[in-house]
Amino acid sequence: MAALLTAKCSDYSRDMVITARDTVAGEAGWIEQAQRSDRQAFESLYRMHVDKVYGLCLRMTGNVSEAEDCTQDAFIQAWNKIGMFRGDSAFATWLHRIAVNTVLGRFRSNKREQDRIQAVSDTETNSFVADDTGELRDLSDAINRLPSGARHVFLLHAVYGYSHDETGSMLGIATGTSKAQYHRARRLLCQQLDDHGYEP
Amino acid sequence: MTDTNDDKLMAAAGRLATEVAPERDLWPGIAEAINTPRRRRWTPMLAQAAAIVLLIGASSAVTYVTVKGQQQPVMQVSPELLFEQTAFGGRYNLGPGFQDARAGLAAQLDVELAKLSPESRAEVEENLKLVNQAIFDINQALAEEPDNTLLQAKLLMAYREELSVLRRVSGLTRNVMMRNDI
Repeated sequence: MAALLTAKCSDYSRDMVITARDTVAGEAGWIEQAQRSDRQAFESLYRMHVDKVYGLCLRMTGNVSEAEDCTQDAFIQAWNKIGMFRGDSAFATWLHRIAVNTVLGRFRSNKREQDRIQAVSDTETNSFVADDTGELRDLSDAINRLPSGARHVFLLHAVYGYSHDETGSMLGIATGTSKAQYHRARRLLCQQLDDHGYEP
Repeated sequence: MTDTNDDKLMAAAGRLATEVAPERDLWPGIAEAINTPRRRRWTPMLAQAAAIVLLIGASSAVTYVTVKGQQQPVMQVSPELLFEQTAFGGRYNLGPGFQDARAGLAAQLDVELAKLSPESRAEVEENLKLVNQAIFDINQALAEEPDNTLLQAKLLMAYREELSVLRRVSGLTRNVMMRNDI
């Protein structure tokens, strides 16, 4: 029985490794094909990464329809720029950079539009990230109420795990500014959650 | 909030979902966009600039055909023919080599024009007026949009066209003189 279990675990582990290898190889191949204008390969890349890109756009905009638009724009941008991808960073990171730029671009392009996004976002509080459950929902809502500068830094650094250098580079701000905004975000979050009696 | 709670807060932030599946398939919109050939922005200003350059090119071709084979020089000078200052949108100047060549040819223009027939001279003058008008118009457009690279390119093209007309007039009359000398 033990031997059988070991064998099964071994098979499972091997399958996992094979799957992981296939995924990496698949992604590299798809990137190469997409760089030669293969739309089918690009669709495979889209299927592989859409949840990561949409998740980030949703966190940054706090609004479903804006996040959908930003995600579409980000992938269109990625298609236009894929020839410039040299593999210096992971493809997912490269896509994240494009997504951040897309969201910031939309925020900057029209202040009125930004107000509209915020207004829609306010009406959709507590419903925008269905994947957050229980106490995480409170935290998610608190993050969504942060000022945009602090919110973006907090999301990229604390939620997505980018360094302050990377966060600053993605947002077009200095590393020191990223750190300052992060501490501001933490302070504001703590205040908000204290007011609501939140226990992490 | 205490430091411990602060740490817990950060730990909770790390547990937030980073990947979220969209409620609808977004691919059809993306596929439509990437399958559509990109259209260049075609503003009335750019259309006007392009039309001017096209007109200059066409009129220069007509001038070339008209003046080509001209044998009989006529001694008449057009004193009112003036050249637009090389403002280049008020922010740039043309290179010294270009300006020297242009100034030299402009100084010789009256003499060269005098060697052409009235019809040919009128044609050349008309073309140079068109070129100068184009330079003036593009300069005005550039004053409003100094960083418009397309307008800058069109202006440079117009200056080159002007230089080309001047050289052509000079070259043709020189040929006429050589033939007459023989």
